[in-house]
Amino acid sequence: MRTYVARKLLTYALTFFVAVTIDWAIPRFMPGDPVQGLISRMQAQPGSAHALTGYYTKAFGLDVPAWKQYLNFWAALVHGDLGVSVWQYPRPVTDLIVEAAPYTLALLIPAILLSFFAGNKVGAMAARRKVLDNTVLPLGYVLTATPYMWLALVLAYVFGSVTRVLPISGAYSYSLQPGWTLDFALSFMRYWILPFASLFLVGFGGWAIGMRNMIIYELEADYAHYLEALGAPRRLIRRYAYRNALLPQITGLALALGAVLAGALVTEVVFNYPGVGSLVLTAIQNRDYFLLQGIFLCIIVGVLIANFIVDIAYVLIDPRTRIGMQGHQ
Amino acid sequence: MFTSRKRRVAVGLSVLAVAAVAVVASVGVGGAAARTAKPATAAAGLPRDTTLYTTGTQWGTYSDLNPFKTWDYVTGLVGLVYEPMFNYNPLKDKYTPWLATKGSWIQKNVYRATIRTGVTWSDGKPLTPADVKFTFETGKIATATFHQLWTSGLKSITTKGNDVTFTFSTTPNYQEFNGYLYNIAIVPQHVWKRYTPDQITSGNLASTKQMVGTGPYTYGSGLNSKQSFTWKKRSGWWATGVYGLNPKPQYIVDIFNGSNNASLANLLAGNIDLSNNFVPGINTKVGSKITTYYPSAPYMLSGNTAWLVPNLTRAPLSDVQFRHALAASIDVNKIVEADYGHIVSPANPTGLLPVWKKYIDNSMVQKYGFTFDVSKAKSILAAAGYKDTNGDGYVENKDGSTLNLSLIVPNGWSDWMTAIQIIADSAKAAGIKITPTYPDYNTLVDDRGHGNYDLVINNDQQIGNTPWTYYNYMFRLPLSDNQTTVNYERYNNPAAWALTQQLDKVNTVPAMQKITSQLQSIFLQDLPLIPLWYNGVWAQANTGHWKSWPTVSSSKLQTLPAMWRGYLQMGGINMISNLQPGK
Repeated sequence: MRTYVARKLLTYALTFFVAVTIDWAIPRFMPGDPVQGLISRMQAQPGSAHALTGYYTKAFGLDVPAWKQYLNFWAALVHGDLGVSVWQYPRPVTDLIVEAAPYTLALLIPAILLSFFAGNKVGAMAARRKVLDNTVLPLGYVLTATPYMWLALVLAYVFGSVTRVLPISGAYSYSLQPGWTLDFALSFMRYWILPFASLFLVGFGGWAIGMRNMIIYELEADYAHYLEALGAPRRLIRRYAYRNALLPQITGLALALGAVLAGALVTEVVFNYPGVGSLVLTAIQNRDYFLLQGIFLCIIVGVLIANFIVDIAYVLIDPRTRIGMQGHQ
Repeated sequence: MFTSRKRRVAVGLSVLAVAAVAVVASVGVGGAAARTAKPATAAAGLPRDTTLYTTGTQWGTYSDLNPFKTWDYVTGLVGLVYEPMFNYNPLKDKYTPWLATKGSWIQKNVYRATIRTGVTWSDGKPLTPADVKFTFETGKIATATFHQLWTSGLKSITTKGNDVTFTFSTTPNYQEFNGYLYNIAIVPQHVWKRYTPDQITSGNLASTKQMVGTGPYTYGSGLNSKQSFTWKKRSGWWATGVYGLNPKPQYIVDIFNGSNNASLANLLAGNIDLSNNFVPGINTKVGSKITTYYPSAPYMLSGNTAWLVPNLTRAPLSDVQFRHALAASIDVNKIVEADYGHIVSPANPTGLLPVWKKYIDNSMVQKYGFTFDVSKAKSILAAAGYKDTNGDGYVENKDGSTLNLSLIVPNGWSDWMTAIQIIADSAKAAGIKITPTYPDYNTLVDDRGHGNYDLVINNDQQIGNTPWTYYNYMFRLPLSDNQTTVNYERYNNPAAWALTQQLDKVNTVPAMQKITSQLQSIFLQDLPLIPLWYNGVWAQANTGHWKSWPTVSSSKLQTLPAMWRGYLQMGGINMISNLQPGK
């Protein structure tokens, strides 16, 4: 087990290094100069444009060669410094991410977990009930094939514009500001429903289909037939099938949770939700290298940790992995 | 692994959770219905009847409390908190004394303003001429946006009694200086003296405690929010006594710009009172509930000119005849009609805004102005030697090579994206091939600055006190590798630039008209840019909670209807002061 973990850790360290390097490089391959974009937005007179260009180029550390920028980036990273935002100069990137993260987490974690549990349950049930299969399967396909944006727009249209029962823009009432008050909590819940529902429904469809197909596959597997031949009750066979079918789903869940800090870009944009997803869009639009890097870094770390947990968890929940490892030793 | 018992628990939990969501949803629905019926107060929320909701300005988080960052400060900071010496109403070409009571050129190169007495900062200290001096002296910092003031001749600022005196070493740039009078917001020296030059020009100065202004509002809540920001009315605004201005909204909540559909839905539902967004199709919504400045087309005031900017360093755009043919080939009326639904108007051939009507020399327009005329475009092309040699319906370059101009606008600017398709279509009829292209904004800025484009649409220059800003935008020299804000077309005409500088140095309407007439003669004959249409001062208001919005039909309400940066001192503050409760 120790060598297993050590080997995994080494792989993760290498992956981290490469991913962070790519993370640093990608925004810099985007066409367009962030400082010029900033100067253009300022509408500075020609008399000050030159001085401003020089000032901001230096302020963002873009006045040194690329290799030096890269080294500076790592040096700052080690100190937990993700740099200063171009878009919101001179605010630190970490502040912007920390401000947006709660909204994204409050939206995505429940959406992912609930759609996972509900989707798998319903999918598993569909696999063994004809009626359910004939209804849930097409519905699942429709839901999972639905673009988030479209579903979000439909929900916003029906509940926000036509019936006007739910708000469609923002994370809480415009007349409030965040705080630990009952008013805010209630308002937050009301504004949370539609974006949550759009994420939940699409996720639900995906999990349900995955589980339904997996169960059918498992029920056709040799061990299931063997159990059947031994005269085991259907219930028992289905329980085993469910356990096996759940494994790949758990990987999917971990990955979805790992990437949670990426936010739900499209949903957040449609509902004007002030989370990380809409921050990503703004960062791209403003060539905000540092903000983009910072968010991607969070995603990288999240995905790596999630993968690591899956690796460990598999050893615990899947006897085959355990035995395989022991065999290897 | 799950035992079956645990599994049942898990199932139970997920069912419970889903049920909980459903319950919350229904509670939410009930709450919403209750609130729709009686849109009154949530206990901790703001009272709807005395709160004004606005949107259309803020694209960043509400973090910037620096009035010198004129492109970034939180909506309303200048106007509601920090105020300039004068306000200016472009619709009436009228300056109103604000923190100054009067100001004039006492000599050719000496300007003297008298600062209003009895004005107090929100921390109780009095406004002094030293504050004005301090404010203008921050322009000495090289990265100050108005640094040009100090490099173009301002020598010193002195104070005596209530007076502030600006002394220039040469003939001042009057037109520019007049702009500074209402665009530079005065800051309190006793607070700001602690800041470093970098903080002054680019800091966010994010402590609301030090946001000390003379205006009618003060910080409510929402610093660093990405959703909304609240201003709270403060008592003792000087203009209440002097001009009888007493804004009724106790709170002004500005809302972050989000998706168009959400913003429009909120406006129609009465959750937003004023939207300064471009809303496609708003012309179909205008009625008793939704109002615009004009009750019918063009609905909106003209706020800036959208220009077709050719790259004059590239053939065939360097050829004046080709530019005339191009101008004649564009069916702007179709853009106005099909793209905008008549919420914009076609531009005058001079490109000058309607508020500068008195500077437009109609005899020049008659003589040299272009109109949409396909056959004329064709004949100009033929006369200039552009022929369709390969019979594909498009003319070729004079050297016989294929002529295909790319026309760029930022991706996502949907109205402009449609406009350039119309332009390409109508140019096709005249035999000019134009390919619409949609790079992202920053790429476009880069290419435009470095001259790596054929044609681009631009509307950077806004409404203001003088057409000089437009000629400065068109003709400014010298050219550099990167043209960041002006003369994107790289028009190199020293005579035109000399006239533009002269225009800056005169200060009477007749003297200005004499020069603008000459400038128009050059512009219309040489056509370095092609004016297309006037973009609007986008403003649509819901009268449900607030009425008496700016409108052409009442002299008192003829003010610019926008919360945009720089617009509060051009009439926006009057708009807020004129509002009356809707019920």
